[in-house]
Amino acid sequence: MIELEGPLGKSDAVNRELVSLERELSTLRKNAAIDPFGLYLYGLVLKEKGSDSLARTVLVEAVNSYPWNWNAWSELQSLCTTIDSLNSLNLNNHWMKDFFLASAYQELRMHNESLAKYENLLGTFGFSNYIQAEIAKARYSLREFEQVEAIFEELLRNDPYRVEDMDMYSNVLYAKECFSALSYLAHRVFMTDKYRPESCCIIGNYYSLKGQHEKSVMYFRRALKLNKNYLSAWTLMGHEFVEMKNIPAAVDAYRRAVDINSCDYRAWYGLGQTYEMMGMPFYALHYFRKSVFLQPNDSRLWIAMAQCYDTERLSMLEEAIKCYRRAANCNDREAIALHRLAKLHYELGRPEEAAFYYKKDMERMEAEEREGPNMVEALLYLATYYKAQKRFEEAEAYCTRLLDYTGPEKETAKSLLRGMRTAQSNIPSMDVEHLPP
Amino acid sequence: MAGIVKPPGAFAITPHKVSVCILLQIYAPSVQISLPFPFSSVAQHNRLGLFLLALTKSCDDILEPKLDELIRQLREVCGLLHDWFIDHLTSRLSSISSPDDLFNFFTDMRGILGGPESGVMEDDQVILDPSSNLGMFLRRCILAFNLLSFEGVCHLLTNIGHYCKEALSSCPSYEAACSEDSNSNLEALLEYENMDLENLVFEKVTEEIEARKSASETVPFHLHAPQTFFGLVEGHDLRRKIVEAALRDIEVLVDVKPKQGDKDREASSYVHPPNDTSRDFEPNCGIFLRSNWQIQGYLQEQADAIEKNGSCVSLNSFELILRRLHKLAPELHRVHFLRYLNSLCHDDYFAALENLHRYFDYSAGTEGIDIVPPASGCNNFGRYEIALLFLGMMHFRLGHPKQALEVLTEAVCVSQQQSNDTCLAFTLAAVCNMLSEIGVSSTSGILGSSFSPSTSIGISLSVQQQLFVLLRGSLKRAESLKLKRLVTSNRLAKAKFDLTHVQRPLLSFGPKASMKLKTCPINVCKELRLSSHLISEFGSESSTMTTDGAFSTVWLKNLQNPLGSVVSSQENGSGSNTNAFQFYAQPSSIPGSVLQLIGSSYLLRATAWEIYGSAPLARINALIYATCFTDALSSSDAALAYVKLIQHLAVFRGYKEAFAAIRIAEEKFLSVSKSRILLLKLQLLHEHNLHLGNLKLAQKVCDELGVLASSVTGVDMELKTEASLRHARTLLAANQFSEAAAVAHSLFCMCYKFNLQVENATVLLLLAEIHKRSGNAVLGLPYALASLSFCQSFNLDLLRASATLTLAELWLSLGSNHAKRALSLIHGAFPMILGHGGLELCARAYIAEAKCYLSDPSFSVFDNPEVVLDPLRQASIELQVLEYHELAAEAFYLMAIVFHKLGQFEEREEAAASFQKHMMALENPDEGRQSQFF
Repeated sequence: MIELEGPLGKSDAVNRELVSLERELSTLRKNAAIDPFGLYLYGLVLKEKGSDSLARTVLVEAVNSYPWNWNAWSELQSLCTTIDSLNSLNLNNHWMKDFFLASAYQELRMHNESLAKYENLLGTFGFSNYIQAEIAKARYSLREFEQVEAIFEELLRNDPYRVEDMDMYSNVLYAKECFSALSYLAHRVFMTDKYRPESCCIIGNYYSLKGQHEKSVMYFRRALKLNKNYLSAWTLMGHEFVEMKNIPAAVDAYRRAVDINSCDYRAWYGLGQTYEMMGMPFYALHYFRKSVFLQPNDSRLWIAMAQCYDTERLSMLEEAIKCYRRAANCNDREAIALHRLAKLHYELGRPEEAAFYYKKDMERMEAEEREGPNMVEALLYLATYYKAQKRFEEAEAYCTRLLDYTGPEKETAKSLLRGMRTAQSNIPSMDVEHLPP
Repeated sequence: MAGIVKPPGAFAITPHKVSVCILLQIYAPSVQISLPFPFSSVAQHNRLGLFLLALTKSCDDILEPKLDELIRQLREVCGLLHDWFIDHLTSRLSSISSPDDLFNFFTDMRGILGGPESGVMEDDQVILDPSSNLGMFLRRCILAFNLLSFEGVCHLLTNIGHYCKEALSSCPSYEAACSEDSNSNLEALLEYENMDLENLVFEKVTEEIEARKSASETVPFHLHAPQTFFGLVEGHDLRRKIVEAALRDIEVLVDVKPKQGDKDREASSYVHPPNDTSRDFEPNCGIFLRSNWQIQGYLQEQADAIEKNGSCVSLNSFELILRRLHKLAPELHRVHFLRYLNSLCHDDYFAALENLHRYFDYSAGTEGIDIVPPASGCNNFGRYEIALLFLGMMHFRLGHPKQALEVLTEAVCVSQQQSNDTCLAFTLAAVCNMLSEIGVSSTSGILGSSFSPSTSIGISLSVQQQLFVLLRGSLKRAESLKLKRLVTSNRLAKAKFDLTHVQRPLLSFGPKASMKLKTCPINVCKELRLSSHLISEFGSESSTMTTDGAFSTVWLKNLQNPLGSVVSSQENGSGSNTNAFQFYAQPSSIPGSVLQLIGSSYLLRATAWEIYGSAPLARINALIYATCFTDALSSSDAALAYVKLIQHLAVFRGYKEAFAAIRIAEEKFLSVSKSRILLLKLQLLHEHNLHLGNLKLAQKVCDELGVLASSVTGVDMELKTEASLRHARTLLAANQFSEAAAVAHSLFCMCYKFNLQVENATVLLLLAEIHKRSGNAVLGLPYALASLSFCQSFNLDLLRASATLTLAELWLSLGSNHAKRALSLIHGAFPMILGHGGLELCARAYIAEAKCYLSDPSFSVFDNPEVVLDPLRQASIELQVLEYHELAAEAFYLMAIVFHKLGQFEEREEAAASFQKHMMALENPDEGRQSQFF
C-alpha cells in the first residue's frame, strides 16, 4: 500500500484473497457443485484477476442458468468491449437477453440498433420507466433533443421522485438553454434527495447555465465525492474549468474522465480544445484524432480537427481539406465545412473545386433560407468564375442576384455585368476587375 | 525529477524494523558495562554500530530486506559473532507471540535510550543519545508503535510471524550453518544468557575466541582485544582513547573509500541489475505501507536504469509493476512517465505516445523536469510546453523527424508565449541536436514552410548554416540563463559541429589562403575545456541537487557494494579482512547527467584527435572515458569508446588481438548497441579479408555493411560513405580498376554534395591509389595532390602523411629519375607516420623507402646494404603481424633480391621461402579460418 490519497478519497484497496477464492470456486465449478450465483461470484473474481475470457464464459454460464440476475449481465457487458466479443457469446434465448443486447449496443455506440431493441421491448413492457429512460438515452446520443425532452417529461409525470438519468434531462435543458425548466428540475431533485450524484450534477448544470462557474464546480465536485467514477461530472467539470480559464484543472478533469472510460469522446474533444486554446494545435491533434475515432459521424469533431490543421502555424492544408470533407459528409449543422473547403481550394489554386463547394454551400444556404456574408462571397466567386469560364449566362444570373445586396459587392457586380456585356458585343473591355472573393 | 517533495511521512513499524531494534538492543543494552556482552573488542562493537547506521539509513528505501537477507548481511559484517547475533535475533523474534510481548518489547526499548539528562551519564555505559541517528530511529519506531491501533498491533504480530517463517523456510543454509560450526558454542551461550552475566561473560567470550583461534588459525584476531580488556581493568581513560582511535579509523576509511568504491560500483552495476529489485518488489508489495518518499526514490532509480541501459529492463514485467503501482497510487503521476520511458526504450510508439500525453495531462508539466527552476511568478497555465518538448524528442527518437520538428516548432512558440526561457533554451538545443543528426542526410522538406526551397545542395548547405546559427543562439541563451548543463551540452554540440564542418565557403576553396580553421583539435579542445568547468561547479552545490528519494536508495547500493567485495576477498583466500567492510559516508556528489556530459567531452576529444591523426592522444581520451565514466555513461556511449579502443588495437597490434577484444566487448554489451559493435566487427573483418586476399568474403562483408547503412530510422551518411568506400577498395583489390574508379567517383560526388569534406580527402586519396595500381601514375598525381591540399586545410595530419606517401609512390612509378624526389617526400612524412601511423602505413612507408633506394641509379647496395635491408625487415615483421600477404610478399621479394645481389644465398633462400609462403596464402585464401569470426 502507498500512503497517497486522491483528491477524492483513498485509492482502491487490493484484495489479497482473490487467489484463494478463485481456487475454491474453480474446484466447485469443476465438480459441478456450484449454483448460478456462485458462478456469478466466480466471474467477478476472474474479472478482478484479469482473466477476461474465462470470466466471460463463466458469466455466460451464470446467466444461461439463471437469466434474472441483472448484475451478472452487466458484468458480462463490461467484458464485451468489441462487437465481435459480443457476437461470440453463446447465450440462450430469453427476454433478458434483449435487455442485455440493447444495453450492450448502447455501450458500443450502436445507438440505432439499441433503440430498435428497446422499442421492441417497450411493446412487451409497456409501462417500464427503465426502458423509457434507456430510449431517451439512445435518442440523446443521436442528438434528438426534442424527443428526449418529451420522454423525460412523461417519465417525470409517471414517477415524480425519479432521480436516475435526470442528469441527462438536465443536459438537454442546458443545451436548449431552458433556464426555468432547469431550475425547476434542480429544485425537484434537490427536494427528493440532495445527496445523489445526479442531483448535484443537475444543480451544477444549472449554475453553469447561469454563468456561475465556481458554484457549478463546487456541485460537480460534490457529485464526484459521492461517486468518483461519475463520468459525465468529470467532463462537465472540465468544461467549467475551461470557462474559468483554469487550464491545468480542466485538463486534469478531462483526463480523469478519459481514464475512467476511454470511449468518452466528449472528454477527448475537450482535451483537444483545451490544448488548441493554448496554442498547441499539433499537440491537440492527438486528442481530436482519438475523439473522431470514437465518434466518426460527428461533424463538430471533424471541424475541430480540420481547424487545427488549418491554423497558421501548422497550415497543413491538404489534411485540413480531408477533415472538412469528412465533416461536410456528416451533416455539418453549422455549415462551416463547405465554406472553408471552397476557400481552401481557392487558396490552393483549384478553381473548379472551389466553385463546386461554393455552389454546394450556396444551395445549402438557400435550402435553409440563410443570408449573410458567406452568400455574397459565394455569389461573387461564382460570378467571376463563370465569367472566366466564358459561361456568361450563369455568370449573369449570379451577378443579378448580387445586385440585391448592398455594399461594395453590388458595384463589383455591376462592373462585372458591364464587362460581360461589352465582351459579348466583342468590344474589348478595359475595366475587368479580378477581385478576390 | 524534483517534483512533489513531501516530507517523508508515515513511518510504519515493520518486522524488519523490529529486527533492527533487536540489534540495537544488542548494540546498546541497558546494562552498566562499557562493552556489552558478546563483543570482544571495541572495533567489533563499532562495526555493528556502523552496520546499524546503514540499516537505519536505508530504512526509507523501497524494499526492506527479508530476514534471510538481513542474516546474510549480518554474517558478512560481523564476522566471528554472527552466529550469536543471528541466533539472538531469531529467538527474540520468535519469542514474540502475543500483542503484550510486543508491548513489553517496546517498553524495554525505551530503556536503552538515554534520558534527557544524558549529560551526566557515566562513561562506562553505552547509552544511545536520543538525538543521534540511531536514537532517532529508535524513537520513531517507538512512536510509530504507540500510534498503532490494536488491530495494527495484531497485524504487526502476524507479519512478524510471516517474516520469520519465510526466512527459516527459504534459508536452509542458515540452519546448516548454525548446526555445523557453532552448535556447542551456541548452546553454551544460550545457557549463559539466562545467567547472571556479570562475571562469567568475559571469561566465556575470551574462551570462545581462544578456542576459535586455536581451531582455525586463518582467523586473524583483532589486536585491540587484549587492550580493551586491559582497559577495563585499568580505567576509563584508556578506553576512551581506544574508542577515539577506532572512530578515527572509521573516518579515515570513509574518506578513502570513494576511490576504491568507484570500481566496486562499476562491478556491481552489472552484478545488480534493477530487475533484481523489481522481482523482489512483487511478492510483498502489498504488505507494508511505503512512504511517498520511498516510491519516488524507487521510480527515480528505475528511470536512471532505463536511461542508462534501456533494454536491460524488461518491457512487460516492469510495465506490470508500474500498472500495479498505479492502481495502488492513482495520484502518483510519475508512474505514467516511467511507463512512457519504458515503452519508449522498447520502441513501442503507441504506448509511449499514450503515456506521454497522460502524464502531462495529469502533471501539467509542473513536475518531472529537474533542471527547470521554479518560474518567476507561478502562472496557472501549467507548463505544457515541456510536454511539447518531450513529444518532440520522442518523435525524433522514434525516427519521425518531420513530426518532431513540427512539435518542436510549436514548443518554441508556446515557450515564447509563456516566456519560459528555460524550456525555450532546451527546445533550441533539442532542435540543434536533431538538425545535426538528420540535417545533413536529408535534402528536402525537413524545414518545411520556414525555408524557401531551392536546389538540393543549397538546402543541405543552409541546413548547416541554420544549425550553426541555432547553436550559437542556444548557447547564448543557455549562458544567460545560467543553465550549466545546457551550456555544456551546447558547447559539446558546437565542438562536434566544428569538428565535422569547415566554416568556409567551398567555392573559394584553395590552398592559397591559409586560414586557421575551427576543425583544429586545439580549438575543439578549447571548446570542450570550457565545458569541463561544470564538474567543479557541481561539486560545490551538490546539496541542492539531491533529489527526493535519491539519498535513501544510494544508501542501499553502498551497502551492497562493500558486502560484495568482502565476499570476493574471502574467496580469494586473503583472509577475512574485516576492514574491507567500509561504508561510504555520502553518495557521490556529482549528478549522473553531469558525469555523462563530461564523459562525452572526452569521447569527443578522442574523436578530434583521431581525425587530426594523433593516435596516442585519441587512445588516451578513449581510455579515460571507458575507465572513469563507466558508471555514468549510457552503454551505447561506452560501446563507442570500446569501439575506438579496439580499432586502435587493430591498427597497431594486428587483428588477432582486436578480434579477441571484440569478443570481450560483445559479451559486455550483449544486450545493447549491438549495431555499433557489429559494425566494428564487419569493418575489421573486411580489412582483414582484404589483407588476406580473401576477396569474396570481403565483398560479402562489404555488402552486409551496405545493408546496415540503409537502416529504417533514416540513412546514416557516414555509414553509407563507409560502405561504398569499402566497396571501391574491394574492387581495387580485385584489380577491377574501372569499376573501382566509378564507385569512388560517385562517392566523391556524394561527399561533395553533402559537404563531407573529411571523407572527400579520403576518397581522393583512394582515387589516386586506384590510378597508381592501374599503372596510370600521371592520372593519379592530381588526385593525390588534391587530397593533400584537402588534408592540409582540414588539419588531417595523418591522412596527409599517407597522401604524401602515395604521392611518393606515384612519382616513383613514373621512373627511376624521380626516385630522389620520392625519397625526400617519404622522409618528410616519416615522423608523422612512425609516430602515429598504424602497422600498415609504416610498412608501406618502409617498403617505399627501400624501393626508392633500390631504383635510384646512384645508389649501390654493396656500399650500405642495411639502409635497404633494415626497413624491409621492419616492414616484413609488421606485415606478418597484420597478415597482409600481398605487401609482405613484396617485402620478402625485395629482400631476396638484395640478398642475391649481396651473395648471401642462405638469407636469400629464407626470404624467397617466405615470399613463396605469402604468395601461396594469397592465392589460396583459407576460407574456413575466417568463418570462426562470424
